[in-house]
Amino acid sequence: MTGAARFAWFVVGLAVALYVGWAFAPDSAFYTQLLNGHRLLGIASLLKIACLLAGAVWAFACRDLLEAGNPARPAWFLLSLGLLSMLAGQLCLAPFQIVSGETPFPGPGDIFYLLAYPFLISALFVFLNAYREAGLPLGPAFERVLLSAAVAVLAAFILRPVAATPGPLLDRILTIAYPALDLVLLVPLVLLLRMALRLRGGHAGEVWLLLLTGFVFMCAGDICFAYFQSLGEEHLDPFVHATFILAYALVAGGAHRQLRILRS
Amino acid sequence: MTTTETVAAVVKVLAPYIGDTMARSATEAHCQKLGIAAANSVSPDQLDSLLGKLGGGLNIFLGREKSAAVIGEVRKTLGAPGAAP
Repeated sequence: MTGAARFAWFVVGLAVALYVGWAFAPDSAFYTQLLNGHRLLGIASLLKIACLLAGAVWAFACRDLLEAGNPARPAWFLLSLGLLSMLAGQLCLAPFQIVSGETPFPGPGDIFYLLAYPFLISALFVFLNAYREAGLPLGPAFERVLLSAAVAVLAAFILRPVAATPGPLLDRILTIAYPALDLVLLVPLVLLLRMALRLRGGHAGEVWLLLLTGFVFMCAGDICFAYFQSLGEEHLDPFVHATFILAYALVAGGAHRQLRILRS
Repeated sequence: MTTTETVAAVVKVLAPYIGDTMARSATEAHCQKLGIAAANSVSPDQLDSLLGKLGGGLNIFLGREKSAAVIGEVRKTLGAPGAAP
């Protein structure tokens, strides 16, 4: 790992610790006098923008370095588009978060966040197909059916309390849409995770460890957001910030690791 | 060189890139598909076919250039023709 990469991970670790600390000790002098909610929201916004921008650029660079006809090339492109769409969403939120310390929900940013999902889901399915072509086993069909059924059960379990919460229709639709799309994302994610286990110990395994952990945190962040939003537990938002910063940083880290392999 | 020795040499080169498990299972699977028996020695033609198949799979993870370099490294280790001097 280069010095710059080590520093970047140190900053990410520090940021995660900062937001977890905020959740546990919101009334401490550090979080009320030195840093307040407004500043912390602004810092989180800038960190998310930096991670998403880096991830989108590095994923696109991976696409660029892979030759035409390589089955993984469109997957990196789709991943780049997904991250770019999330970046657009975060850029819509940033002025509100930095200037007034508020996060509008629903807001124009949600259009881009929702738009990111078809790109990310397609990216994972294209990766899955590419790695199957490389000889990684996809597993028997009945396992995939079983996995889809398990995700459907999980969806019913997770989404029911969120759906039952009263509130404006658009708020409710969006609060359900995020975790629902994450659960769809979970299907190729689990299949890729299984494949990636066979790559452990190699450089390609490191790429997938970072990417898949990032996606898992992304799903966890969305589900937590939906719960905290619908249950009125907004004081737990610092956990959501920490989860998303870590998720975006891990995905960007995976793209960067792949880029280093391609450039080596 | 016997098939077992060839597989061991290939796995040693590929493992840092795609991990020991994947390197071994891919090499053994391709040997089986190409009809390279475990007890026999590997002919130059069979080795070419095996490295061609492995290179195709590696492309997806490493890109064409890096994949070609790694396959070149395997050839060098095996002392096969076509290896970079």
